[in-house]
Amino acid sequence: MNRSIQKISFLLLLAAAVLIVFVPLLPGLAGVVFTAFAYIPALELRTFSLTGFTELLLWPGLHKSILLTLFIGLGSTFLSAVLAFSILQSCWGKRYWHKLEKLLAPILALPHVAFAVGFAFLFTPSGFVARILNTIFSDLGITHWSLINDPYGLGLILALTIKEVPFLLFMSIALLKQLNINSTLVMAHSLGYSNAQAWQKIILPQWLPKIRFTLFAVMAYSLSVVDVALVLGPTSPSTFPVLIWQWLNDADLSTLPKASAGAFLLLLLCIVALYLIRFVEWLVVCRQRAWQSSGRRSLPLPGKSAILFTYVISLTTLPVLLLWSFAQRWSFPDLLPSAWSLRFWQQEWLFLWGIIGNSISIALISATFALLFAIIIHEYNQHSVTHKRLPPVPRLLIAIPMLAPQLSILFGIQIATLFAARQHYYLWVIWAHIFFAFPYVYLVLDGPWRSYEKRLDRVALSLGMSPFKVWWKIKRPILLPAICIAWAVGISVSLAQYLPTLMLGGGRIATLTTEAVALASGQDRRISAIYALLQSLVPFIFYILAIFISQKTGMMIHQNKVNKRSVDSDVPISKKSVNY
Amino acid sequence: MSLSVKNLSIIDDHGKMLFSPLSFSIQKGEILALMGPSGCGKSTLLSAIAGHISPDFSYAGEYYLNGVLLNNIAVEKRKIGILFQDDLLFPHLTVWENLAIALPDKYKKEQRKTVARQTLSELNLLALADKAPSQISGGQRARVSMMRMLLAEPAAVLLDEPFSKLDKTLRSDFRNWVFAQIKKRKLPALMVTHDESDVPDPGQSLQWPWDEKQQNNVSDRNIKEKQC
Repeated sequence: MNRSIQKISFLLLLAAAVLIVFVPLLPGLAGVVFTAFAYIPALELRTFSLTGFTELLLWPGLHKSILLTLFIGLGSTFLSAVLAFSILQSCWGKRYWHKLEKLLAPILALPHVAFAVGFAFLFTPSGFVARILNTIFSDLGITHWSLINDPYGLGLILALTIKEVPFLLFMSIALLKQLNINSTLVMAHSLGYSNAQAWQKIILPQWLPKIRFTLFAVMAYSLSVVDVALVLGPTSPSTFPVLIWQWLNDADLSTLPKASAGAFLLLLLCIVALYLIRFVEWLVVCRQRAWQSSGRRSLPLPGKSAILFTYVISLTTLPVLLLWSFAQRWSFPDLLPSAWSLRFWQQEWLFLWGIIGNSISIALISATFALLFAIIIHEYNQHSVTHKRLPPVPRLLIAIPMLAPQLSILFGIQIATLFAARQHYYLWVIWAHIFFAFPYVYLVLDGPWRSYEKRLDRVALSLGMSPFKVWWKIKRPILLPAICIAWAVGISVSLAQYLPTLMLGGGRIATLTTEAVALASGQDRRISAIYALLQSLVPFIFYILAIFISQKTGMMIHQNKVNKRSVDSDVPISKKSVNY
Repeated sequence: MSLSVKNLSIIDDHGKMLFSPLSFSIQKGEILALMGPSGCGKSTLLSAIAGHISPDFSYAGEYYLNGVLLNNIAVEKRKIGILFQDDLLFPHLTVWENLAIALPDKYKKEQRKTVARQTLSELNLLALADKAPSQISGGQRARVSMMRMLLAEPAAVLLDEPFSKLDKTLRSDFRNWVFAQIKKRKLPALMVTHDESDVPDPGQSLQWPWDEKQQNNVSDRNIKEKQC
């Protein structure tokens, strides 16, 4: 291909990526601010006022709901970070670590809503855990404690923590490989530090700043989550995002300014919480740094129990869902159903096809576009590093869809779509899915793209290959495993989207996730189980497919070696000298 | 064939010149060794000639291949082969594919495999043709890497400390073989190295600091067309 044609095609794709991935932020943020100040021309409200905020502040349970939300958001983020770190500290480099790493994929593929439904089936007073306890300690009867819809949100904190720990582990693996911690640990051990001391005194101050964005994403998600909170969260009052969601869905349109003032406030709460994480990081890494060199002391952290607990709970949800989907009669405290039936599958089967088709087609289109855009932005950013004239796309801008509450941004986008062709529901939903899947896909590609050995490109160019040929024949095949996994992650993120599908689809597009949430609050556990199970299985199939394609290309074996070598080449010379 | 450099200097991002402007010319089959301590700019100079200079540096001056100014020619069209201290074989390709990918486009698809296998046969490595780079030894990888560069039919060669990662016994054999290949193909070669034992002919090296006197000495011996 002619070089100038390649250049023009690349620039066009870059422009499309920017238009689709970053431009929605503008109407998203503008829409929520305008509506919060009661400027809604569609409702004949054409003057700015504070009516929305006044109504919001007068709502009786507001303070309790906000405090509860902060407690849940901060609690689950803090707990996830501590547990993820303690798991890394206890298990990194151990013989079983590779097995734990491999198990991360199916756990990450488990969508939040499906996990929440499975978690509810485990921990309700008549759930699977209570049944096991009853079998062990006979005649306990139905217990009165419950982690589901409990007033303090403890169940929600626990569920969010269990779901976020694998995500933090997944993101940490690439970071720690870049930090070349194996040689740091060897050095620390030679200085007389135990494993725990080395991790807490030497690795933690390096890990924390690197994992910052991921922690931001976890915090933003925990603070603004609606779907999981609808299944597991407290109800009197509900968490703040759920309240906003209820106001948004109110048939009475006069609640709209109150809802958007809430969405605006949620955005502010999120920003404050993100600064809080940054403050804690500063405290640990900079302000109180004397502890880092204060001697060989460490806190005992329960890493092995944490990994066991996280994996067991995550992986138990699937068999429990499967059992419930075929159960006809399952009375308490029986460990297994006393009567089985296919009736519920048969009953739902006809509806399921359309819903599965919808979910998969939207996920495939949006994940493919998100992947294409992520690759283009990565290539552009690398290009901008080598040609200093071009500014790189800031990481913060890329991460905004992950860091800002979905509810706030979507509300703004929804308002903006009213001015455009609102009737193209599929288009808007796909657009929103690309928008929210993009940062995750980008993040998954980030490590491999950074650790790619750039000298391979130089060698290929010196052999006379054109830049496009170098990319297609050298870089693409080497990075194919990462590209496949990123595509699978994109599909799983898209499949899990609840708010974007409902808000921009105007309730006309049913996916496995929207149905799973709607049915989770229903009375029939068997129907809920079927939808939650399918919601888990579809992304899982794509993960397996991605791994299969990667292995088919014969890349998996080589990739580790390449990464190892290229990661070494990223290490500063000063650190390299320690290794050799 | 000749590779000439005229008043070439490297400038860091603070505007500081790393060394005074350098001029030399290398004739076909000759190997000029550029020696100097770490950080003096040797590898950056090679990167500038190859067209891969890091964004932290810039360069001033001109460089020519057979009298053609290279400064603004696209990297892939310069016909300058480069060999690093790491073999940098493409890890997703087998040994023979690594060679075949380097062949110019004039070779047809079916010819490529034959040429690659013939080359491996000459190296006594034919048995390894279908292996992955990670499955062969360091010395074998180094030879395949060198042959890959030569199969691309470069008009000049740059060697960036190509022997520094090899062990002592392997190093000497590989060095002799590389120099023999360069001479056999009559290519001008510029090599940067720390190690004096890598220098094929002491008169063919520039020692740090690369002052004008040395440049003139090299030029007097080899460069007829210094004024080009």
